[in-house]
Amino acid sequence: MINPDAINSLKAIVGKDRCFDSPEQLACYCYDAYFEEAMPDLVLFPCTRDEVSGILKICSVHKIPVTARGAGTSVCGASIPARGGVVLCFSKMNRILEINTKDRYVIVEPGVVNADLQKALAPFGFFYPPDPGSMAVSTIGGNVAQNAGGPRCLKYGVTVDYILGMEVVLASGKVVRFGSRNVKDVTGYRLSSLFCGSEGTLGMVTSVILKVLPLPESVSTLLVTFDDLDNTAKAVADIIGAGILPAALELMDKTTIRTIEEKAHIGLPVDAEGTLLIEVDGVKEACEKEIKKITEKLEANGAVNIEVAKTEDEREKLWQARRSAYGVFAKLSPSLYTEDIVVPAGKIPEMTRMIVDIANKYKLIVGVMAHAGDGNMHPMIPADKSNKEEWGRVEKAFDEIMAAAASLNGTLSGEHGIGLAKTEYLPLVMDEDAIEFMGVIKKAVDPDGILNPGKFV
Amino acid sequence: MADSYGQNCNKCGFCLSVCPTYQAQGTEDASPRARIQLIDFFSDHKLGSSEKLKDIISKCLMCGSCANICPAGINHPERYVRMREKMIRDHGDRPEIKSLVSLLAKESRIRMAAGAAGMAQKIVPRVFAEKYRLGNIALKQFPVLNNVPFRTATRRAMERMPGQKSKGVPALKYGRVVYFTGCATNYLFDDTGFAVLDILRHMGVEVIIPDTQTCCGIPMLFHGGREKVKNNLNTNLACLDAQGIDAVIVDCPTCGAALKNDYPGLAKEFGLDQEAANRVAEKVVDISTFIMAHARPEGFPQNHEAIHVTYHQPCHLRNHMPAPGSAQALLNALQGVEYIPALDMDSCCGGGGTFFYEYPEVSRGIAKKKVTNAKATGAELWVTDCPVCRINLGGYLDDAAGLTVVHPARLAAQFLPDLKGRKG
Repeated sequence: MINPDAINSLKAIVGKDRCFDSPEQLACYCYDAYFEEAMPDLVLFPCTRDEVSGILKICSVHKIPVTARGAGTSVCGASIPARGGVVLCFSKMNRILEINTKDRYVIVEPGVVNADLQKALAPFGFFYPPDPGSMAVSTIGGNVAQNAGGPRCLKYGVTVDYILGMEVVLASGKVVRFGSRNVKDVTGYRLSSLFCGSEGTLGMVTSVILKVLPLPESVSTLLVTFDDLDNTAKAVADIIGAGILPAALELMDKTTIRTIEEKAHIGLPVDAEGTLLIEVDGVKEACEKEIKKITEKLEANGAVNIEVAKTEDEREKLWQARRSAYGVFAKLSPSLYTEDIVVPAGKIPEMTRMIVDIANKYKLIVGVMAHAGDGNMHPMIPADKSNKEEWGRVEKAFDEIMAAAASLNGTLSGEHGIGLAKTEYLPLVMDEDAIEFMGVIKKAVDPDGILNPGKFV
Repeated sequence: MADSYGQNCNKCGFCLSVCPTYQAQGTEDASPRARIQLIDFFSDHKLGSSEKLKDIISKCLMCGSCANICPAGINHPERYVRMREKMIRDHGDRPEIKSLVSLLAKESRIRMAAGAAGMAQKIVPRVFAEKYRLGNIALKQFPVLNNVPFRTATRRAMERMPGQKSKGVPALKYGRVVYFTGCATNYLFDDTGFAVLDILRHMGVEVIIPDTQTCCGIPMLFHGGREKVKNNLNTNLACLDAQGIDAVIVDCPTCGAALKNDYPGLAKEFGLDQEAANRVAEKVVDISTFIMAHARPEGFPQNHEAIHVTYHQPCHLRNHMPAPGSAQALLNALQGVEYIPALDMDSCCGGGGTFFYEYPEVSRGIAKKKVTNAKATGAELWVTDCPVCRINLGGYLDDAAGLTVVHPARLAAQFLPDLKGRKG
């Protein structure tokens, strides 16, 4: 329970309209897209940095846990208030403060929705590359906290690669700024990289300066089918190995394609054992040349069919199908576990085989889906969490998948984060000293551990 | 957890991106994902019934966009309706909404009320009218009731010309249809009704307007009056399931969706004639689709000056009808119409049946954006199929706006040879 005086002073900061405390409203903030729940005591909607600072000052005095939230689409439980306390929801702090395409940056508040930023940039002929599957609703603040990725991050890099600077409120309520509007900046530690991906455990980002890029003049999308999953994965390793860098290179196995097609009915190749969705962008002539090189590699690996999307509409349909994968798998069972391991691109064929073998061993359905070009794999296992026996097998399968990724010099998460989902696996890829070092930083920045407690650090 | 409908919300959050109330309010409790969570909490006894719960569940436009985008296939509207019933049972509804539900359940009551309201509208002094608002709409901008209900007017017209079904009908070209007028056309917007008739006559279609038809039942269903819908369903099926009918024409997407999607299931639930419900459902078609399928609107005579037109796509057309693009196809086909799409053509207007009346603040925020974007197109006409959208959006347009909301049929009818310039 939070001290009633503290509650009153917290309410006074935002006013009653921006404070939720009824059981009905709190129940709407006990979840995100991960399947655990924890009830907060209070939800506050700050609109300014000063409000955030005021809230944190009170929370640090009373040692009240504070969990940041944007749109609540984390798939690792990062925005679940595991220890109760305050949920600090940034959805109303959503102004785009500056668009400066001449100097190629934007300044935004954390509640700005990724897709809204894209919409605002499009008229200038610019875009912000990170494109997580949740981009239609997820916020820049959440994207920064989780260091979000997405399909086109293969070529363009992930969220952290676009942060030039930020303003952060620390646990004490103190406001710090670092970075600048400049792409080149080695003035002191690059602290934005520390806060990006910290999942709200180190501070609250209240504004961020992001690098933006001009939209490519030309985009082409290919749908490629194989009659063998192993060949599909080998083609990926071959393309990347040959020094070709498409904007996106997505792999889907038969189970994934069939499940999507059942819902979407857009004529996906349901008989193919493996499917690749490849996108190249840039100068038109370069795209054509790149497609030619890619086609050679695909044919050398036994591609059965290569189709180029003819219209923008066709292209959008293919991507819609790909983006719907998570959702359609959700339909198959009460609980869906999506993995997010990464392995070096050259290990994609091996990792794919291992995933399929492990799923077979535990008699589980698996849909293998991957941002294959950068080795980021999302095997999805639909199951029923309330079925103890089945869930036991799921947990064992994921233990083994995680260990397999680690054994191939891979890692635990490419873009989803650790949150509540993967803390126990950290030792697989980080040694004791490294984990302890994270603890040292956490302790220095948030000595009372009020920021997003119960998570990985 | 899997719900009682065998569907399960994975909380992916896709629905947040299309939900008009979430977009307007920016708080999770205004989202479809949260409503489902609360309904689950309620049925698992983790949360008791309360006014607050009722309010959160009711504060929804019932647009159906959440169900449309949901990858897990949750039937949100159905679950909301069931929950609304429970909440209204426990906590009642606003008196004025309750009387609306009771009104629509019986045609004679609607007629009487419309008559009384018509009288009131004529005698309400101007000052008074400007001061008071209906929801967020000033009374002055609220549509004037039809002098005579549309269906009564057409009946009288036919009585005056015995043996003649409709004037100026060329030889029968297409067939015979039933026109389900809906309450709005009958009592509020007879210009839509006459336009639909003009077009169908021009096409050489024999039109039957059953006298006994009544409210489709959706307003009652959305406001906890499920058992009241049975009568309406029975009455409507009896007059719509006539022999030798080629189509059941609707001008309102909500009525259309009710007849097409909800009637078969409701007929089963109420133990009514399911076969009849299926037959009717199969024949339901919106007027724009019907025109595009059986006439050549490209051939409608062209006006000398191009009319600049923009469009608002009603949610129930987009989410529940088989041809969401029908009206836009018609606009594009009409020679002399220059269709300029608005930026947010396909986003909700904030009307939502009685929502604009119950939650004027939220509704206003949603509608104002629509109005700004529609005005930015420079159009003179704002075409939309749904009468509630028309009331709601029209409510923000005074004479100075230079923009009038009309039904697509009304626009199309303007181009017909012998009817050009007809006053609606």
